[in-house]
Amino acid sequence: MPLHLTRAAAGTFSPRQPWWLAACCALLMLLGVAPAVLAQAAPPTATSTATSTAKPDPAQVATPTLRVNTALSAEGDGATFPTTGPALIVPLPDDWARTRPGSDGPVWYRVPFQAVGVRERGDLLALYVEHVCTNLEVYLNGQLVHSGGRMQSPLTHNCNHPQLVGLPAVLIAPGLNTLDIKVAGHALAEVGSRQRAGSLSALDIGPQSVLASRHARQTVLNIAAPQAVSATLLLMGGFMFVLGFINRRESHLAYFGALCVGWAIVDARLWLRELPVSNPVAEFLLCAMLGFITLAAVQFLLRYAQWRHRWIDIALPLQCALMPLSLVIAGPARLYPVASFWYALLALEVMAAAAFYLRRQWRTRPGSFWLMAGLLSVVTVAGAIEFVAQKLGLRSVISQIAQIVTPVMFVLVGLRLVQQHGRALQQAELGRAHLEERVREATEEIERNFLQMSELRVEQVTERERKRIAADLHDDLGAKLLTIVHTSDSERISTLAREALEEMRLSVRGLTGKPVKLADALGDWRAEVVSRLAQAGIDADWEAPEDLPQTLSARAYVQTTRILREATSNIIKHSGASQSTMRVTIAEGDFQLVIQDNGEGIPLELDGRLDRGHGMASMKARAKQLQGQCLVESGPGYGTVIRLTLPLNRAIEVA
Amino acid sequence: MKNILLLEDLPEIRVWLRKLVQQVFPGALISESARIHDALELVSAIKFDLALIDLGLPDGSGVDVVTRLRDVQPEAQSVVVTIHDDDEHLFPALQAGAFGYILKEQARELITEQLQRISQGEPPLSPSIARRVMAYFSAKAKPQASTMPHVSLTDRESEVLLRVAKGYTLPEIGVQLGLSRHTIADYVKQIYRKLNVSSRAEAALEAQRLGLFR
Repeated sequence: MPLHLTRAAAGTFSPRQPWWLAACCALLMLLGVAPAVLAQAAPPTATSTATSTAKPDPAQVATPTLRVNTALSAEGDGATFPTTGPALIVPLPDDWARTRPGSDGPVWYRVPFQAVGVRERGDLLALYVEHVCTNLEVYLNGQLVHSGGRMQSPLTHNCNHPQLVGLPAVLIAPGLNTLDIKVAGHALAEVGSRQRAGSLSALDIGPQSVLASRHARQTVLNIAAPQAVSATLLLMGGFMFVLGFINRRESHLAYFGALCVGWAIVDARLWLRELPVSNPVAEFLLCAMLGFITLAAVQFLLRYAQWRHRWIDIALPLQCALMPLSLVIAGPARLYPVASFWYALLALEVMAAAAFYLRRQWRTRPGSFWLMAGLLSVVTVAGAIEFVAQKLGLRSVISQIAQIVTPVMFVLVGLRLVQQHGRALQQAELGRAHLEERVREATEEIERNFLQMSELRVEQVTERERKRIAADLHDDLGAKLLTIVHTSDSERISTLAREALEEMRLSVRGLTGKPVKLADALGDWRAEVVSRLAQAGIDADWEAPEDLPQTLSARAYVQTTRILREATSNIIKHSGASQSTMRVTIAEGDFQLVIQDNGEGIPLELDGRLDRGHGMASMKARAKQLQGQCLVESGPGYGTVIRLTLPLNRAIEVA
Repeated sequence: MKNILLLEDLPEIRVWLRKLVQQVFPGALISESARIHDALELVSAIKFDLALIDLGLPDGSGVDVVTRLRDVQPEAQSVVVTIHDDDEHLFPALQAGAFGYILKEQARELITEQLQRISQGEPPLSPSIARRVMAYFSAKAKPQASTMPHVSLTDRESEVLLRVAKGYTLPEIGVQLGLSRHTIADYVKQIYRKLNVSSRAEAALEAQRLGLFR
């Protein structure tokens, strides 16, 4: 039943529309492989357009493309089309599962065609086979012109590789030609997917230039794009896996990485031709792999939703073991139905996990809900398309795109995860910097407090020690001196002891003392001096300004008290005076005390100095200690004047 | 006839004090003790007119004996006899009810005179003690202390205190205020008494407060 390569056949021109190509390019662009794709995809688009625009003007078309929709087919493993067995006419595309269920070939297809004037015009003719599974050989007029690879098990996997076969002009006879195609493949029951079951698509015969561009375009879609996506997934998955593995709190990253890597491996079936294992083993491994991918996907979604359950952690690995086991029990001959059942189950699991994830996301973070919802629904739609394609045995462009879309969505999810991880890292970094700052502040504060406390403690300890020394002096030295005061027969000794006691008390007060208000000090001094002089029967005249704001250091107070006491004692004991005046003035920051009496004055010693027995030297030394001075003016019969001058500010400072 | 308690731990000083007290108060009955424990037993057994109490004793502070005397024999006069002349040691004793103080190392004649004055109701008061008493009463006058039982000084008493604080002697103050020496002494006595009453009221209030919290 010969077909004629005539102009009337132009109506079977492939109705290719470029819209899906644009969509595909947009998706691939996201992966960064756009330049490569564009380089390959753009010219064919142009050519395709040229072909269709050329259609209305037949004079310019050299040779039209012929689409072959039917073929004579017969089963046989010989070197030529089997003529002995039954042959039947089948429509193309031909699925063995439909036309010869259970058969696993090889199957021969015979297509006669007319080649009118091909040689004269010098056209290069070609045969384009968009889809053949699993492998083919092409004979033109009985001559082998093309082989896709091994025709014996393990077969070369050409299911996803479009075939372009050049038809040598020398073999083309004018008039009727016979094209025989031998297809080796597997029955549907032996493979996990309808796409890998034995089949042959419609054939196109036409100018090589036209068909080559279609072949190139289809190769990009079927081979290059999955390869690029697989490589991307492999890289990203590995990266994610390592990231999640290192950081156990982000285990969802590890599961996502495993999912990506697993998907990349499974996707390799699309472009890997030569497998070192036989078909049943390869199909078995592929199906088993899906169990692990499902585990990774479900766990990723659950962990990403920050939820985990012990039973799920146990059930999923169990399923991974159960699935291959059931495949083994069913045997290679019943692989497809068992695998289909598992696919449905796995898809349901993933969808349930996705729904669970989205529900939690909606509750906790509605902000990032829509992004993930969008990505997941695209994956779901792709899965649904795949499912329908499996059921109906369709090989549409949409189902091919759906195959690519899923990994692209994975890449997008991965980018989202990287973004989240990076942001979390940044937050953690900021938090850490903040914490460090806080720790530094706290440390400084602690150090400061510690310093203060230790200073305070030193003060406390010093104060306690002072008090202890004071108490000891009183109890021990004080008691002994007191005993001497009151038990000594010698008036001189008891006086000395009394004075020693007074000195001791002053010293103790100097040890424990705080600054003394000058007004208070004047009160103390006045009371002591005036009452002592009054008891001795000496008139005392005390003049001092009132309400003085200045203070004296404890030492200045003690030393001045001693000087004053000494001077008073001198007046009482030695002067024989009847009158005395004490005058206190504050001038230019100096404290001045003038003590004057009308007594006999201090007698000169042999060397012309004033008598040291009157304690003048110690008075002067004490004044000098306080950065002040003590001047004594005296002469026999003229009384005595003692001028004590202390710088007030320094007297305060000298503590 | 006087009953006198003498609490002093140094034997020589105790002997010396006893001789002195006998001289000032001829025929007085003197009960001696070297420890607080013994003194408290004597206080519960004998009714005293005068008690000379040392502050620093081996088994505690003489302030406890002053307090006990004040509680059980309010008419007895406690006089602190001490080596400490600073108000940090003296003020608690005065608050507890001591009626003046005598510095031990003073000359015999001086102590004799002071003892006589005390027995006549003229207790000594130094400028630093006067300042401390003033500070005590002015702190009490603050509004937040309104729950305190109100014991305050009269203007005269405050005037006397102020002058003592400035270093004037009691006779001088008498001259300045145109009052007799005895009147001034009465003011001083009154000041001591109020100090004690106020302190006791405070202590009672504090005890009540603690009781409420218990």
